[in-house]
Amino acid sequence: MSLENLDIKTKQMKNKIIIILILLIASIKSQYALCQTQTNQVNTVQPKIMVIPYTKEGEDIRTILEQDVSRRIAITKIKEGFDGRGFTTVDFTAKLKAAKDNNVFTTESQTDIKTQIIQMSGADVYVQAEVSSLKTETGSSVTLVLTAYEASTGNSLSNKVGESGKFYTDDFGKLASKAVESCVADFLNVMQIKFTDIVNNGKSVIIDISFDANSTYKMSSEIGADKLPLSDQIEMWMEKNAFKNNYHIQGTTALKMIFDDVRIPLKDPANGNNYNPNKFALEIFKFFKGIGLQPTKDIKGSTIFITIK
Amino acid sequence: MQPKPTKILFSLFAIIFLFSCSNKSIPSSAKVNYLTSRDGTITMRAIGTGENQQAAIADAEKNAFEVLFFRGLPESEQKIALIGTNEIEEKQKHQTYFDKFYKDQRYKTFLMSSIPTGNATNIKGGSKSIAVDVKINVTALRKDLEQNNVIRKFGY
Repeated sequence: MSLENLDIKTKQMKNKIIIILILLIASIKSQYALCQTQTNQVNTVQPKIMVIPYTKEGEDIRTILEQDVSRRIAITKIKEGFDGRGFTTVDFTAKLKAAKDNNVFTTESQTDIKTQIIQMSGADVYVQAEVSSLKTETGSSVTLVLTAYEASTGNSLSNKVGESGKFYTDDFGKLASKAVESCVADFLNVMQIKFTDIVNNGKSVIIDISFDANSTYKMSSEIGADKLPLSDQIEMWMEKNAFKNNYHIQGTTALKMIFDDVRIPLKDPANGNNYNPNKFALEIFKFFKGIGLQPTKDIKGSTIFITIK
Repeated sequence: MQPKPTKILFSLFAIIFLFSCSNKSIPSSAKVNYLTSRDGTITMRAIGTGENQQAAIADAEKNAFEVLFFRGLPESEQKIALIGTNEIEEKQKHQTYFDKFYKDQRYKTFLMSSIPTGNATNIKGGSKSIAVDVKINVTALRKDLEQNNVIRKFGY
């Protein structure tokens, strides 16, 4: 075999090895992606949704529901809409009964009772249904105003108005049912768009940072290794840790700093497990410890309270 | 003369690039209008064209699904696109699903009725055009899309 032939054979071998390597890398990559999807089978924690009736000031929410069948029908039909999408809601009437049995309610105003139920239920999202009936000479009708909010941040998720149309009937329950049917599918579609936004851009939490009455620190205190003002240290940390750098500062004073919208991921980027405000609060806690401060943390729904001693 | 490894690599990338750019179909124009909806079904009037009446009816049915998937139907309970507005991207992402859906005629299982409003009319080029009242089981269609991970289930 000549030297030239040997050189050609070596080159051919080299080419073959390169091609095999490329194919091997591609195969390993696809296998790795497959394994990742198989191991990441973590069920995402779903938001708790509760459908509640709208009450005017001074109206007793309990008697309203017990006496007004059309409101009960409207609420049931809305829940039916959620069930149709395979989603289970928190039952408001059951919670109301449980709260009544446990004497949870104080003797404050009725609006507070509604707030108390929302807090007690631990609902993340509440859907408020306002049912108004109208009877005229030209027929009866029911109008429904549906609004969905995030309980902790107040962010609006969906808003729709449903109309039953006019009919010569006294069956307001049926009219309420028709009013719900006219808008519930669209209402849920808009809600789902907002949920998709949360999945892609993170869940909104509020962070309230303040000082203990006996604390010697202020937001302008220069601390940490680089002796930067505390408020700037906090913002720099938030810049790095808020999901997709998405955060908004409501305001900063000498004794308080409030982030009214900080996005956190639904899944922990490190291990794919579910992520929640509690875990984010722990990260903030570690940060404050790291710069030599003594914080305490308190979490209420999606609001994180940090108090520096 | 033997090809250099860099040339082989370049050729490989060129082939991959060409394949990734193929299968991009131009969206067909669809004339679909909402008629009625009731209990998870939507009835719409769709216009389709084809070589013969049967092909035109099938085209109208497909147009109805395409509008539901990628545009949404104003006035109906599905005003928003069921899947998304970027049909090329979505069809590439879920190619297997759409191949089965259209080529294997799986879409017919979600059709509750398909009634031509009249006889097909001749249009330019010897093709036929027909208006069809198409009734689609949207609840079942949505469930199917969810189960096949084409769309997310309700919630996070």
